[in-house]
Amino acid sequence: MLQPLTVVLLVGSGVLALLAAHHLLRRRLVDDPVVITALVLEVALLVQLVVGLTKATAIADGAERATFIAYLFTVLLVPPATVVIAIKEKTQWAMGVVLGGAFVVAILVARLQQVWSLHAA
Amino acid sequence: MPPEQQQPEQQPKQRPEQHDTPHTGHGFGRVLVAVYGLLALAATGRSILQISEYFDRAPVSYVLSALAAVIYLVATIGLARGDRASVRLATVALSVELLGVLVVGTLSYVVPSAFPDKTVWSHFGSGYGYVPLVLPIVGLWWIHHTARAGGGTDGAAAARR
Repeated sequence: MLQPLTVVLLVGSGVLALLAAHHLLRRRLVDDPVVITALVLEVALLVQLVVGLTKATAIADGAERATFIAYLFTVLLVPPATVVIAIKEKTQWAMGVVLGGAFVVAILVARLQQVWSLHAA
Repeated sequence: MPPEQQQPEQQPKQRPEQHDTPHTGHGFGRVLVAVYGLLALAATGRSILQISEYFDRAPVSYVLSALAAVIYLVATIGLARGDRASVRLATVALSVELLGVLVVGTLSYVVPSAFPDKTVWSHFGSGYGYVPLVLPIVGLWWIHHTARAGGGTDGAAAARR
């Protein structure tokens, strides 16, 4: 829907994944860089929400549009949820959750792009 | 799980550290709870959409999707809470889930006409990267693992929580 934004989001989730993998291997717990990266990613996802909602009418099929909007909102929940879980968990699995969350964000952003490119007029 | 065994003190007699107390929602369990939560969210969303937008197209598939969504919710809450009753509930939910994905997965290959539209369980969850097939197996293993790590001290462990 907005190529540069999608690229930014994929790069952002990639950076978060790398950071989490690094911390996982070094057995570090959640720290400021992780939280700030997740925060930046979340802001970019909010921008995506606004852009997506304003452009959603370009998708004619009602069910596909509903899917698109549902993905826009769902993906917003992932970074905060994973960071909260990571803060509560005091073993290295904390970073495992963040790594998984970053992966899920990337998948959902790719799916959004897929729904858009297949169905937007 | 190797990471929990990283502590230098490995004498078997030693009283476990706080984060070593067996709890289905801690350690590796957080990953499970996160994945289950996400799947519950995805399945719920999908089933609401299917039932509200085009239920008549494939009622059986959509009822199954809704059932799967409920089971994922129960499993998520059960694993996250981690007390004995919750774990028992989660065990039941995971068993039903495993049975469901195996039965529906097999049926969707044998009689594809019965499932005109996809569910989370059709084709053994291939649309979801086979996560619906692998997850209950991992989850049941994890419940078994934490129950064993708790040994006979279930009451004592529960009292500490």
